[in-house]
Amino acid sequence: MAGSDEVNVNESKSVVPLNTYVLISNFKLAYNLLRRPDGTFNRELDDFLERKVPANTIPVNGVFSFDHVDRSTGLLNRVYLAAPENEARWGMIDLEKPLSTTEVVPVIIFFHGGSFTHSTASTAIYDTLCRRFVNICKAAVVSVNYRRSPEYRYPCAYDDGWAALNWVKSRPWLQSGKDSKVYVYLAGDSSGGNIVHHVAVQAADAGVEVLGNILLHPLFGGQERTESEKRLDGKYFVRVPERDWYWRAFLPEGEDRDHPACNPFGPRGRSLEGLQFPKSLVVVAGLDLLQDWQLAYAEGLSNYGHEVKLLYLKEATIGFYFLPNNDHFYRLMEEIYEFVHSYC
Amino acid sequence: MGPFDFAAAAAAASSSSSSSGSAPKHPPDLDGLLAGAGYKVRSSELHHVAQRLERLETAMVNSASHIPHLASDAVHYNPSDLASWVDSMLSELPHSSSLPSGFPDPYPTALGCGWLDPCAPQPHQNVVVPQQQQQQLTVVAALEEDSGIRLVHALMTCAESVQRGDSSLARSLVEEMQALLARVNTSCGIGKVAGYFIDALSRRLLGLGSAPAWTYENEVLYHHFYEACPYLKFAHFTANQAILEAFDGHDCVHVIDFNLMHGLQWPALIQALALRAGGPPLLRLTGIGPPSPDGRDTLRQIGLRLKELARSVNVQFTFRGVVASRLEDVKPWMLPVSPKEAVAVNSIMQLHKLLGSDPNRDPPIGSVLPWIRSLNPKIMTVVEQEASHNQTGFLDRFTEALYYYSTLFDSLEAACPVQPDKALAEMYLQREICNIVCCEGTARLERHEPLDKWRARLGEAGFTPLNLGSNAFKQASMLLTLFSAEGYSVEENEGCLTLGWHSRPLIAASAWQAVPSVVNSPTGVINPNDNNNQL
Repeated sequence: MAGSDEVNVNESKSVVPLNTYVLISNFKLAYNLLRRPDGTFNRELDDFLERKVPANTIPVNGVFSFDHVDRSTGLLNRVYLAAPENEARWGMIDLEKPLSTTEVVPVIIFFHGGSFTHSTASTAIYDTLCRRFVNICKAAVVSVNYRRSPEYRYPCAYDDGWAALNWVKSRPWLQSGKDSKVYVYLAGDSSGGNIVHHVAVQAADAGVEVLGNILLHPLFGGQERTESEKRLDGKYFVRVPERDWYWRAFLPEGEDRDHPACNPFGPRGRSLEGLQFPKSLVVVAGLDLLQDWQLAYAEGLSNYGHEVKLLYLKEATIGFYFLPNNDHFYRLMEEIYEFVHSYC
Repeated sequence: MGPFDFAAAAAAASSSSSSSGSAPKHPPDLDGLLAGAGYKVRSSELHHVAQRLERLETAMVNSASHIPHLASDAVHYNPSDLASWVDSMLSELPHSSSLPSGFPDPYPTALGCGWLDPCAPQPHQNVVVPQQQQQQLTVVAALEEDSGIRLVHALMTCAESVQRGDSSLARSLVEEMQALLARVNTSCGIGKVAGYFIDALSRRLLGLGSAPAWTYENEVLYHHFYEACPYLKFAHFTANQAILEAFDGHDCVHVIDFNLMHGLQWPALIQALALRAGGPPLLRLTGIGPPSPDGRDTLRQIGLRLKELARSVNVQFTFRGVVASRLEDVKPWMLPVSPKEAVAVNSIMQLHKLLGSDPNRDPPIGSVLPWIRSLNPKIMTVVEQEASHNQTGFLDRFTEALYYYSTLFDSLEAACPVQPDKALAEMYLQREICNIVCCEGTARLERHEPLDKWRARLGEAGFTPLNLGSNAFKQASMLLTLFSAEGYSVEENEGCLTLGWHSRPLIAASAWQAVPSVVNSPTGVINPNDNNNQL
């Protein structure tokens, strides 16, 4: 804990609605209790504090969900679908028919955030977010319950993401359109955004088609301290030393933040030139101290000749999308809708 | 009942908000968006909570050395009640001397971003219903996406025809399903559970309302269920923890067990009391149980064994057995309690049996809860199946049970229990399935209801929750690691703990205290609040 830093709370409380402030501050303070200086993590207390909701096959506000667990790996995916029009079918999970035989229904594979350490697919804020994706963005959503650090370091989260991608692509009941295929997009916030990138690279290498990447203030970093990290440290819910802790918990022991998982376009990064890489929507919150890394990421993609749309939300803080009480939330949903529904 | 009636019934049975997609009905003062995130904060309290959070942050910075204590020693309770949680954290830290400046009030809109005052009604009401209004919680674990799913659909279609009264269709569907079963792996997963449900449906259609003559006594099956998977161990363990805490400081304690069985819960409590700082209290145990079929006094035998154990660890112990076929047959005069003793009432999966509906009477729970209160218990521990198996519509009940027991059987499979524990545990569960599917009226005892319903029921009956905290959670989690199967999870649910399989809670443990009654109990049991009563 850097005791010499000033606690600049005045700034965050004046830029977000009160309930958002309460929500994110609560996470921040609870998380402070869980990270130990020696790099270990108080998982029991984290599990205790976590607010979770179970899946529900009965539609609520037009969306129902169910969990699928892979028996051999234990990997859980939570699937969110629009409620069947026929109410008599509510409660039943129909896995025999595709999503549609006429229209294309995008399937968003979502990786929740939490700096690789916190949250699950059952976590209330993420369950709620996925339901909103279904309703507002008119998509099917599969939320991946990937293994978390420090118990499971790199590359476990990426492996789980890759497994989920392959699982989704091979589900006949997630197919749509006249050509009966699964229209896959990858999306994630914070560490989930980081996972999106790496799974997309693996997919591109293997020739598995992903139609688009959506990265919501993704977690990237490096050894260097960027200007935004210095300028915004401690001002809007996030502090640099915490970021460092989470990287130490995720990366292989002894590694530094220029490891390509953390810094994909850094000194140890690899070229994506000529790779069949999906188009990307990179969303950056203007009050996020990691924005320089995220902007550099977007630029890096562009330099390799890949399509990038940058959505820079100047006055947004991290987690602006948890509660639909601000314009950024709606702007984001519109952009995602456009992104997953624009194809020839 | 036609298919449209069913649809209407299903819609009526489930939350009123689900079909119309309208905003959910919270207690009017709660911030709806935070509720969707799992936190209950009154809108009117938001400013206050925000200030306390700010203060907590300052206190944490100023007392950085206290953080480990907060994390590992302090007990946390009910994180959903954010205001209380923040205050409890603050109370554990030396207070910061200066309060931070207050929050801008009214909320600035000068930023030009159009922030809405969160306390004002918001135009965008895209809120998701929080947990308590979700009916039919289900999980489908590792679906076999082939004949397994067809079997499930056939089962539901059959149940629907049963509900409609179309017996001939139902019977032909049963035949079809038995044929389908032959093509599915029935040694585990959905195939195995489906077999039990098909069997139960078949029995119902044959008019065999009550369960067949079972070879094994319920107590034997219960014991094997106890061994085969962690649910009962979790129930006992969590209840004992809470009872132990409630008994702290009392020299005379009295546990009333609503279903003694083989008394499996009590050795651990006896031993924990023996090791108590300051020495063990005087322990009385009243065990309630049905009459033994063969005339043996089983209750007394169990009592003697427990007494033996207590003696070996120097705990003064007396036992009393109360024979009753049904809990509602127990009369308060059979359970004399002394005002000097701390009373713990322990109910492991018993209360739901009191919800039975005889059309001419109110459900027995209405008379049992008041007499429990009249005992003035220091604590009542309640463990119940976390399921909605008491719905009026047969199809709803059936569907819920199908998913619930599928999950339960899956977890049993993964726990890899040895035989005969596994087979007998399955038989134990099969009895429950049969009761839910085949029986009606007073014969249907397995009327499981979810936590929220119990909260409401117990609240109305004058009980207030005693929150189970992070210490109980941690120990329950540690208990689970003794089981090789990954997939079991303990979760905190607003002061209660649940144990489930892969994110589906299956059993819920809670603790309660009775709001002291100021009225003379009609049963004449000693009421310590009434000074006119003599001992």
